[in-house]
Amino acid sequence: MTLLLLLLLQSPHARLEGRVPAAALPVIDSLVAQAVAESLPTEPLVQKALEGSAKGIPVDRLVNGVRRGLVQLRDARAIVTRATPTRAALDGDVAAVAAALARGLDPRLVERLMAATPAEPPGPVLHAAADLVAHGFPADSAADLLRTAQREGLRGTRLLDVAVAASHELQREGGRTPLQALARVRAMLPNVPVAPPPHPRAVTRRAGPGS
Amino acid sequence: MTVIDPRLQEALDGERDPATLPVGLREAYVRLLAATELLREPPAVSVADRVMAEIRSDAATSVTAPAGAARRLTQWFTRPRAVTLRLRPAWTLALAAALAALLLLPGGQAAVPGAEEGIAQFVGHFPGARSVEVVGSFNDWRRGALPLSDEDHDGIWHGAVVLPTGQHEYMFVVDGERWVADPLAGRYVDDGFGAGRQNALLIVRP
Repeated sequence: MTLLLLLLLQSPHARLEGRVPAAALPVIDSLVAQAVAESLPTEPLVQKALEGSAKGIPVDRLVNGVRRGLVQLRDARAIVTRATPTRAALDGDVAAVAAALARGLDPRLVERLMAATPAEPPGPVLHAAADLVAHGFPADSAADLLRTAQREGLRGTRLLDVAVAASHELQREGGRTPLQALARVRAMLPNVPVAPPPHPRAVTRRAGPGS
Repeated sequence: MTVIDPRLQEALDGERDPATLPVGLREAYVRLLAATELLREPPAVSVADRVMAEIRSDAATSVTAPAGAARRLTQWFTRPRAVTLRLRPAWTLALAAALAALLLLPGGQAAVPGAEEGIAQFVGHFPGARSVEVVGSFNDWRRGALPLSDEDHDGIWHGAVVLPTGQHEYMFVVDGERWVADPLAGRYVDDGFGAGRQNALLIVRP
């Protein structure tokens, strides 16, 4: 009984009720239900609805934002399925690919990067690629650099360091072209500098969902 | 002598929007802000100060103690006595380390990240703001969950929190009404609501 109550409280509807405008709630509920029916992750849709409500977005734009999120999840799942045909698409992978698409990465590039290392969680390499593209590096050259980094043994968030190193090379005095900067980083692989950890004076526990 | 980049200097002087700095300079800007905060922190009360305070307290007690047997009893309980402690060097070192940790670390607020967690540090320059908070996917976009602080009222608001590793979208809310994407985030994503607004993107590392 307690478990049932907990599950009920954690359901998307329970999390949205009272926070999402009443006029938007039925439509968002139905979008979430569609995601469930299609075995897509629902958390990104719940987050988008909560975000729009907190920001005071008008109902029509709020609903459109959540609907756009559902479309992006479908696109993401199609990419994951094509890139890793031998296994079922994981919710985390679909969400990571959807996030990369939201950051503006080309779907073909996303698929290529994911297919190159199908056993790895795709989030870090996709964020590293999106970082490089956002800093003006050509997408294909950026992807090549990341593939080289992976072949050199870099995994996970270390790939983010590759993107940071490339940006630093681009900003060095004397002026380098993006391709020169990428070549410099390729030459230093796998020994790109590690990002320094934060050293704040006081750290608190997060005030998490539901608080 | 290290020459500071004039653009960085302008940002530190408040004459330039830090969001317009290149990535490398933005990181240097954040580090310098954090270092400034550390330097502003007053030193912990010294052991000597505390000892002197105890002595003064004892002196005051002895002046106001009651008379007779009650006074003697009170004095017996309150009078300082020489106590000899025999400690092994290892225990002494451990005690010193514990004492140093108590004096130097911020009291009671430290949280240690678990295996799948990391520390997220937020710094924002909002001169004149009355409040700044961080609202994002890590707290269900709920207001009031993560306020930043500016104890010395210099306009630099900061805070740190333990979060699960991975991607989080967030924004600053200034004075309870103005939503601002962190100018120093370095990563942004369209918020999807059609007005071209962006959320800051944070990737928490283990």
